[in-house]
Amino acid sequence: MSLFVQQVILGLMLGGVYVAVAIGFSLVWGVLNIVNLAHGALVVVGMYATWFLFTHAGIDPFLTLPLDAVVLFAIGYLVQRGLINRVIRAPLFFTLLLTFGINLVLINLFLLWFKADFRSVTTSYSGAGLNVGAVTIPYIRLAALVIAMLLAGAVGFFMNRTRTGFAIQAVGADKDAAQLVGIDLRHVYALTFAVGAACAGVAGGLLSTVQAISPTAGEPYTLQAFVVVILGGLGRVSATVVGGLLFGLIEVLAQSQVPGLGAGWSNAIAFAVLVLVLVLRPQGLLGRLA
Amino acid sequence: MGGRIRGLMSGIAALSVLVACGGATGGGTTTTTGADIILGAPLSLTGSSSKEGGLAKQGYDMWQTWVNQQGGINVKGVKHKVQIKYADDQSKPDISAQLTQSLITDQKVQFLLGPYGSGPTASDAVIAEKNSIPMVEGNGAAQAIFSKGYKYTFGVLSPANKYLQGVIDLAATLNPKPSTIAMLAADDSFSQEVAAAVNDYAPGKGFSVVYNQKYPNGSTDVSSLVAAAKAKNPDILLNSGHLAEAIAINKAAKDLQLNAKLFAYSVGPSTPDFVNALGKDSYYVMDGSQWTPQVKYKPTFYLSVADYTAAYKSTFNTQEDPDYHVAESTAACLALQKAIENAGTVTNTDKVRDALAGLDVMTFFGEIKFDNRGVNVTKPMVVEQIQTDGKHHTVFPSDVADKQVQYPTPPWSQR
Repeated sequence: MSLFVQQVILGLMLGGVYVAVAIGFSLVWGVLNIVNLAHGALVVVGMYATWFLFTHAGIDPFLTLPLDAVVLFAIGYLVQRGLINRVIRAPLFFTLLLTFGINLVLINLFLLWFKADFRSVTTSYSGAGLNVGAVTIPYIRLAALVIAMLLAGAVGFFMNRTRTGFAIQAVGADKDAAQLVGIDLRHVYALTFAVGAACAGVAGGLLSTVQAISPTAGEPYTLQAFVVVILGGLGRVSATVVGGLLFGLIEVLAQSQVPGLGAGWSNAIAFAVLVLVLVLRPQGLLGRLA
Repeated sequence: MGGRIRGLMSGIAALSVLVACGGATGGGTTTTTGADIILGAPLSLTGSSSKEGGLAKQGYDMWQTWVNQQGGINVKGVKHKVQIKYADDQSKPDISAQLTQSLITDQKVQFLLGPYGSGPTASDAVIAEKNSIPMVEGNGAAQAIFSKGYKYTFGVLSPANKYLQGVIDLAATLNPKPSTIAMLAADDSFSQEVAAAVNDYAPGKGFSVVYNQKYPNGSTDVSSLVAAAKAKNPDILLNSGHLAEAIAINKAAKDLQLNAKLFAYSVGPSTPDFVNALGKDSYYVMDGSQWTPQVKYKPTFYLSVADYTAAYKSTFNTQEDPDYHVAESTAACLALQKAIENAGTVTNTDKVRDALAGLDVMTFFGEIKFDNRGVNVTKPMVVEQIQTDGKHHTVFPSDVADKQVQYPTPPWSQR
């Protein structure tokens, strides 16, 4: 029983990481209709930023998160304004191709600058945790979950309570009408992508404390963000939170709690759930109908 | 700086010419220069194994520099310089196979050096066989590669089933003796062979495997498996997988306070990255290693172990010792070179293949001698440990060890 509780806790913590990764991805997809294949690479930028600040300036990884967000916000703004805006009205295929290309460029830049070496952020307090009976709650993962939730709350507040958030939603709903009422489309596009990238940066900073950093470490996260958004549904922050936590739980429980099946089946089970959701509820668990 | 390196390299070259003359047949005083020999090597320069692929490339490059400084491979008194054509297989077996074919067809390579990893090696072996091109590899240890009756693929490294046997042999000598094992294994063929061998071998040595779990290759989160392993309270935590997973497992073991007495991972701890990434958390961890800079072989060909280590440091301008991935890759080149020399032909690939099959040579990497499958079963594996001085030390078998094993591993809370 205590093992089951332990696994549920680990699942929620993993889910927290997925939420952090998927929020930005969902925002960009929902508003700009871009499936950003470079999202994982942006997460890796955040990992390296935190690693760099931790290793060379001795800054605590959690304190580097705002800096990650600022750096990624700037990169995101420039990438959207300078590159993606040029093909934004072209069919989806072109933005897919472009973000795929940006992904390759970023990964190869990492290889050039950081080599293929594996790095990691290991703090003095990593490994510390709260012991409740036989259940261990590692502080770092707990903090990652809490920060992911705060990030989700902040993005939700930004989207639903601020003028800029309304402008972004307006563009997502009807870009021509938004332009008619005086919204600068190119700026809002760039801003949206920048916010998405900033979220990816925070996610990368969180991930750097729990896993190894390498140029290709972001690859799985593009796919996972995609799955989380499909699972939860597009267009709402709460949908991403539910999708992320659920996917983390499914993965962990499928790894260890399905009798008769090994962890080798965990991906198969997680994606079977995804297919089921697509068949029964194509808009996602909490998504709005398009 | 450059001058010093060049000086050292030419010194090594001069030394090795002396050695080569001692061993070369024919004793021809008039050597002429023949056409270059073109070798092909598909390697993981990007993708999940890019680190290990880069190490393999270092090993190939070291040999290429050395052999060309000598004037090339000596084939019946004619010296042929060597060119290695690389292709990036992105760590993917299917792409590796395509590139191997294109190296043969478009680049006209005459012989193949292996890719990194058992997956790509298995798929490239098919292409080598189809084209009757000998492939000597040093980075694919799964025996599945060699069980298909291929005639053109030769592996200089010890096969997968030997990887963690040394750790188990070592554990059996320890006091207090550990008795239970938890095994986490990735689902690729190499890792599964390592795990299967542990499950077969450990009970005979008095251990019981209390937890044995397979996870998808390349998993980013293994904490739930580590939690499940912890519930069984094992004395020994073993992993057969890859560097990224080894780091993740070690981190999760600390996070979840899994206090095994012995930690050993098949791939990962031997690389400098493992220590750099984990710092003090990497101490006490062991791995089964193909080779360490401390081994005491007496080579009859190429450099001594100490000279190899020195040449590596000066070539790549580093303080770090060469990892075994580098050494096994250089060893693959040496086997090919020796076979070409023994065959006395560059163009007749079947003769070179036969020379490989009959090869028996002692190198800095150990003895290279293939069984009828093409597996090098002669060379032993060694066990190395990252000790509390932050360095890798060879701890088993005792006749090649340079340090006593540090055991038991203290609990995480007391480190």
